[in-house]
Amino acid sequence: MNRKILFRLMEHAILILVSVLIMIPIYWVLKTSLTGENLFNYPPSLIPKDPHIYYFVDVYYWIPFLRFFFNSVFVSFVVVVANLFFNSMAAYALRYSFPGKRLLILFYLSMMMIPFQTTIIPAFLLTKYMGLLNSYLGLAFPLASTIINIFVFKAAFDSIPGSLFDAAVMDGMKEQTILFKIYLPLAKPAIATNIILTFVWSWNNFIWPLIIISEKEMQTLPLGLSTFLSYFESTNGQMYAFVIMVISPIILVFFMNQRRFISGIISGAIKG
Amino acid sequence: MSKVNRGRGVLIALFLAPSLLVFTIYRIIPIVWNVVLSFQRWKLIGIPRFVGFSNYLALSQDPVFWESFRNTLYYFFGGTPIAIGAAVVLSLLVNKPLKGRNIYRALIFLPYPITPVAIAIIWKWLYDEKVGLINYVLRSLGLLRESIGFLSSFTWALPSVIFTTIWQSLGYYVILLLAGLQTIPDELYEAAEIDGATGMRKFQWITLPLLKPSLFLCFIVGIMNSFTTFDVIYVMTNGGPGNATEILVTYIYKKAFTFNEIGPAAAMTLILFLFLLVVTMVSNKISGGEAGGVHYYE
Repeated sequence: MNRKILFRLMEHAILILVSVLIMIPIYWVLKTSLTGENLFNYPPSLIPKDPHIYYFVDVYYWIPFLRFFFNSVFVSFVVVVANLFFNSMAAYALRYSFPGKRLLILFYLSMMMIPFQTTIIPAFLLTKYMGLLNSYLGLAFPLASTIINIFVFKAAFDSIPGSLFDAAVMDGMKEQTILFKIYLPLAKPAIATNIILTFVWSWNNFIWPLIIISEKEMQTLPLGLSTFLSYFESTNGQMYAFVIMVISPIILVFFMNQRRFISGIISGAIKG
Repeated sequence: MSKVNRGRGVLIALFLAPSLLVFTIYRIIPIVWNVVLSFQRWKLIGIPRFVGFSNYLALSQDPVFWESFRNTLYYFFGGTPIAIGAAVVLSLLVNKPLKGRNIYRALIFLPYPITPVAIAIIWKWLYDEKVGLINYVLRSLGLLRESIGFLSSFTWALPSVIFTTIWQSLGYYVILLLAGLQTIPDELYEAAEIDGATGMRKFQWITLPLLKPSLFLCFIVGIMNSFTTFDVIYVMTNGGPGNATEILVTYIYKKAFTFNEIGPAAAMTLILFLFLLVVTMVSNKISGGEAGGVHYYE
């Protein structure tokens, strides 16, 4: 029996060690954003001494933080809403059998495996010719519908009994009403997955804004962050306060509903 | 399934149209156009000119292209097996009925969805020669006599970037494997115990074979992520020192958007595309058509 307890303890020890190692970088950046001490002081202290929020205030004044924040929030909002509508509509259409449906699904499946990075040059050119460089629409467009999320909705809709649909048709409901009033309310987990995945993808997106945004006022947070690094180098507390400000919405969403967040992110193994 | 009538046909088309428009503009057209561009000479001004295979020829003689290709492979092979290996151990641990296992799962997973640009900035600083935590710890432990500029060293830059990637992706593999572990029925283990199988045996003969699909999926995700990484390297090293951490995507970006050499960049993109296509097709073949589809719904 003693052996078993020892074994248990060892298992916990390994997991605690790994968890600590994983959390150190995040803790360290949080601590420095409040004190700045790891930048100048040796040896570094484990507990924050005299924490203050001046670095956060500085970020607010040094760069158009509110503007970047708004850009990121607005683009993510557009992306999430567009995905909810477009993906659920496509998934609803896929309930029916129609000529070419198998081909369409095959097409979706193959498109899903194409990473965005292998399309950036023509994607940039197309966006330029559409006059969408330095625009919100240009930022949101490529992410406005994502295939994996269509399948997430499709799986949810497939599990809704057909009798419900038949009853709704009997009652003379219009199809768009059936989708929005009956199907979507019954597919809440799918909605959550859609929101989580597309929010995280849009919020973290970097290469696309880097390519199509050249005006400072149109920068999103990750782009502003990388520009900030090139201006100020890495030895100031403001840099790390900025980092915290960029990552905290993601962490917030994560802690709001961990289980759903994790399963949502997992289902988007391959972006698309 | 209901039969299609006219009105319904219109509805289906209307419902499919918005998403298809997005995929047409940002997937189909770019894929085709990229092929065309790879056979052209163009610097974003003037009219593109067809030059046959000369972009590919130029690439084959470009040492940086080969170096970035090698680095991409190194980036994948150096990181993914270690991450998956560690993830196997961790997933077995958090699959046990331990107290607080949900907390462990959450903490290990947490880095994965965090903004890569922010991760890169944090790690760039942790690796710093003067104020970096890693140098401090290694020196305090007596493992290092003098600080190393990890990201400015030709030897250490790529391994350092790889380590950051492992740190970020580890939790993802853990959860993916955990989903696989949970599909293995307990009866199998019970039966094996009756037959006198020990822990290691059970792992070798039950867990590992039945975990194969999940391991395979990890592998595919690892390839996809390795070959499309951009943010972390762009911010941490921008391909440097020299070209020590240049990988295909960062080189494509530089060629296309810094030097405006659209032709060679498009050729490189097509090579990357075909490479990934072959990899996914082969793995689909091996796995019986299940690669890429993740099913982890509660």
